[in-house]
Amino acid sequence: MFESLFKYSREDYARGEIVFINDWPEWLLYALVVVAVIAVAAGLYRRRSHASTFVLLSIGMLQLAMIAVVMFILLQPTLSSQVMRDGENSVALALDNSASMAHGLTESRFVAARQNLNNAIQADTLQNLSLRHYELGDSAELVDSFLSSIPTENATSMAGGLLRILDEARFSPLAAVVLASDGADTNGGLSADELAEIAAFGVPIHTIGVGREAMPEDIELSNVTVPDNSLPGSTVSARVTIRHDQAANARIKVYDGDNLVQLMPIELSADSTVTTAWVDVALNEAGPHQLGFSVESDAVEPESRNNERATLINVANEDYRILYYEGEPRWEYKFLRRSIAHDDDLNVATLLRVSPNKFYRQGIDDALQLQDGFPQSRDELFTYDALIIGSVEAASLTTEQQEIIRDFVSNRGGSLLMLAGPNGLGNGGWGQSALASVLPTSLPATTIDSFHRLKSTVSLTAQGADNQILRFASDSDENRDAWRELPQVADYQLTGSLKPAAVTLLNAETDAGQTPLLVTQAFGRGHAFILATGGTWRWQMSLPVEDQKHETFWRQLLRALVASAPENVSLAANPGKDDISIELRAEFRDAAFRPVNDVGVTTIASHESGESISILMRPDEAEPGVFLGQLTPPQSGTWYFEAVAESEGEPVAVARASILHATGQAEHFGFRRNSGLLQRLALATGGQYFADGDLSELPDLLRYSSSGITETEHKSIWDSPAFYLLLLLLKSSEWMLRRRWSSI
Amino acid sequence: MRKTAWTTSTIVALLLIITTPAAQTQSDTPVRPNREAPGEFQFVRLAYSSNSYGRGGYGRRQMWQTDWPDADYHFSRGVDRLTRVSVAEQGRILTPLDEEIFDYPWIYAVEVGHWSLNEQEAERMRAYLLRGGFLMVDDFHGTYEWAAFVASMERVFPDRPIIEIPESDAALHVVYDLDNRIQIPSRMFLYSGTTYEKDGYTPHWRGIYDDDGRLMVAINFNMDIGDAWEHADWPDYPENMTALAYRFGINYLIYAMTH
Repeated sequence: MFESLFKYSREDYARGEIVFINDWPEWLLYALVVVAVIAVAAGLYRRRSHASTFVLLSIGMLQLAMIAVVMFILLQPTLSSQVMRDGENSVALALDNSASMAHGLTESRFVAARQNLNNAIQADTLQNLSLRHYELGDSAELVDSFLSSIPTENATSMAGGLLRILDEARFSPLAAVVLASDGADTNGGLSADELAEIAAFGVPIHTIGVGREAMPEDIELSNVTVPDNSLPGSTVSARVTIRHDQAANARIKVYDGDNLVQLMPIELSADSTVTTAWVDVALNEAGPHQLGFSVESDAVEPESRNNERATLINVANEDYRILYYEGEPRWEYKFLRRSIAHDDDLNVATLLRVSPNKFYRQGIDDALQLQDGFPQSRDELFTYDALIIGSVEAASLTTEQQEIIRDFVSNRGGSLLMLAGPNGLGNGGWGQSALASVLPTSLPATTIDSFHRLKSTVSLTAQGADNQILRFASDSDENRDAWRELPQVADYQLTGSLKPAAVTLLNAETDAGQTPLLVTQAFGRGHAFILATGGTWRWQMSLPVEDQKHETFWRQLLRALVASAPENVSLAANPGKDDISIELRAEFRDAAFRPVNDVGVTTIASHESGESISILMRPDEAEPGVFLGQLTPPQSGTWYFEAVAESEGEPVAVARASILHATGQAEHFGFRRNSGLLQRLALATGGQYFADGDLSELPDLLRYSSSGITETEHKSIWDSPAFYLLLLLLKSSEWMLRRRWSSI
Repeated sequence: MRKTAWTTSTIVALLLIITTPAAQTQSDTPVRPNREAPGEFQFVRLAYSSNSYGRGGYGRRQMWQTDWPDADYHFSRGVDRLTRVSVAEQGRILTPLDEEIFDYPWIYAVEVGHWSLNEQEAERMRAYLLRGGFLMVDDFHGTYEWAAFVASMERVFPDRPIIEIPESDAALHVVYDLDNRIQIPSRMFLYSGTTYEKDGYTPHWRGIYDDDGRLMVAINFNMDIGDAWEHADWPDYPENMTALAYRFGINYLIYAMTH
């Protein structure tokens, strides 16, 4: 309709602007207007005795409107717009060629996408655009045409592929990119930086989404999170995330090697598409454990490969050392020690000020340990993995000792746990000490007695409910119930205001309201915790002797403290973002945890089959003592790494790590259509997102693209039927009014 | 006149029974408001059930009250003076069935040669000790009282032996090295000239241990540490006895707070 009245489409008008070709001088235009007004006014004046003023004004307005339309036509209005110059521009057609595109009910996503692209370029208006065909996987490959019938790539990197396409077209006019994909990126999605880099090319990217956003027939084990390391005899809480589009009863199974070690039923609710569960896995033996996780339901699924995940966790056979410095005999000290008495991996050396002039040492290796009191050198303190400071005033340590503790956290990466007490936290002046910056709260001043021997109930925060330290039961509801039923702690201490990076894991419900009880924050390479009570011992004394909550709490808290403390020599092997490579990071520090740079580092990668590869590690310029490397493994399976630091041809330090690598598995996960990613991509580049196969607007978008080499196109609109119909309508109206009033 | 005296005696006796802590049962204990605790350590005296000999009577204190309150007060002040422990000035009295007993992991019982724990009390004391509580018993002497003590203790721990505390045990060294131990007598020794009572000629420092080798019950047999605390301010009572009694008490307390 619009086009028949105005000759061209709404989009044409929206894209272009109206200009007048008839270049009359401006005075002539004004003169014509004046003459027209005078002529109309004179005509009506002569007839003033035959009609009323209202009738005369109505007739006059219609005549003036008619004259205005005629003048508009005489000015020859034209629609001016920028269009692709024929034969000089290209359009890149990118077809997602990754394995996830093989999914589909009647036809595969790949076939649908290929069909969409082929349809899009059939328009006559695109005949003068040259086309470049790309198949997109972990990168982009230029092909002559889309001939494949099945996708072949085992990874998808939108950013990598698109940047390759745009980079190749850097010196040739590229009007647009048309990407047909399910948006399932296995490279971690599009970061803001990557999106900005793509948008900086100024080339619009139009995205065509294929596949379904919801797949009720599929249950996916989206993610499994376990700590990299654990201690023998620990129970590791694995965070299992399941994606589902309908309600179902399922089971989570965990295998340690070939042994089924956990079977947990789980109800998947229709109210959510993501269900998270905590699964406890006991790891008793030292060494690497290959943990296999699977989720099963009674329904038959079209894709079962996304129901399983495997991970490797290293159970270190090491003795962890904790120093506990306490300023006064108290029950918390006794019951803390008792709670971990049977934990052979935690060695807690305690230094207790029994009387003003006497310290009592327990858990020491020999008579020399701590014989001079609290460590006075970095070398001595840095042999510990964690430090607990109890009810003792900051002034009991020198400023230098306080600074050593700060370095212990920030440089050595040790953990610090501050306990409440009449002489602890704010009362002890720690808020004004060299440690103040390390702590997760701004402690109250010493002038305020922040310690109260009042019983208070402990409650989990949302972050605490997710934290492995505070898990008494694998089921979230059971865990919350267990905490709710815990006896009150004997006392609490006000912690002051939280710092921005602080995370509160427990709160105390006091008569005066809620106050943080367990707070933590990262500081440098380490972590600092505040446990604002010295009264968890009531859990032990108030519950039956068989109850293990007090022991479990302290065991898990202290294990978390030491597990996060790095060794002075370490090697980390992590999956690369591309799901194909393995990133290696070795760190070498001396006994005082000073970075070691003057070494050469080589890593030997050994596959379980016996194959080995040597990798030369390069120093990280940004971080002293750190060496980086990368391996693209030729085969899946367990890879063992040994990084050797050499100085003058002699090995000086060795670090080991291992990882379970499975190339191409990522394409079986997260393969529901990611419309959000495709929409963001289109929006950021000035393109448009198309879904469900309606591509009717795409040809015009390509023809009028702002990118590439364009020229100005003029389209006359003075001869549009709408203007002549308007003239006819105005004249008819005048004639009808004259007849109706019969007076002029 | 005789009838009036009998009635008055009965009323007084009933009032005494009602107001003594031993008469308060667990179910009768009202819920205490959340009041600030007076210190980390508060001296708690165990108000146990006694056998017929130890129940006392009109005008007589019960056996568990022996040396109270001076012993409790003096010892608490001594702990406050000699250690870093935060100490409540006044002590408390609790029965074995009092729920609050679990809020006090160190408890003192005197004249335990006259106690008679029933099954419920024994079960409560067993739970208290196994959870981490510490019991110091004192001031009982001779064969008969030992037998009475053991009879109740065996209800608490039927299968745990009572042994002499080894010389190397931390309880004898944690603050003070108590290598030269002597019999600490009651005040009566000033009149009788003998440090022993009944046939308890030889002092014994005995104990009951948990499965991890930690002392749970410190048994001071054939001695009277409580009397030494009580008479710390009495000029005639030997200062060296009081000092030793303080040292034993402090060692037991610090041991209980560290093991």
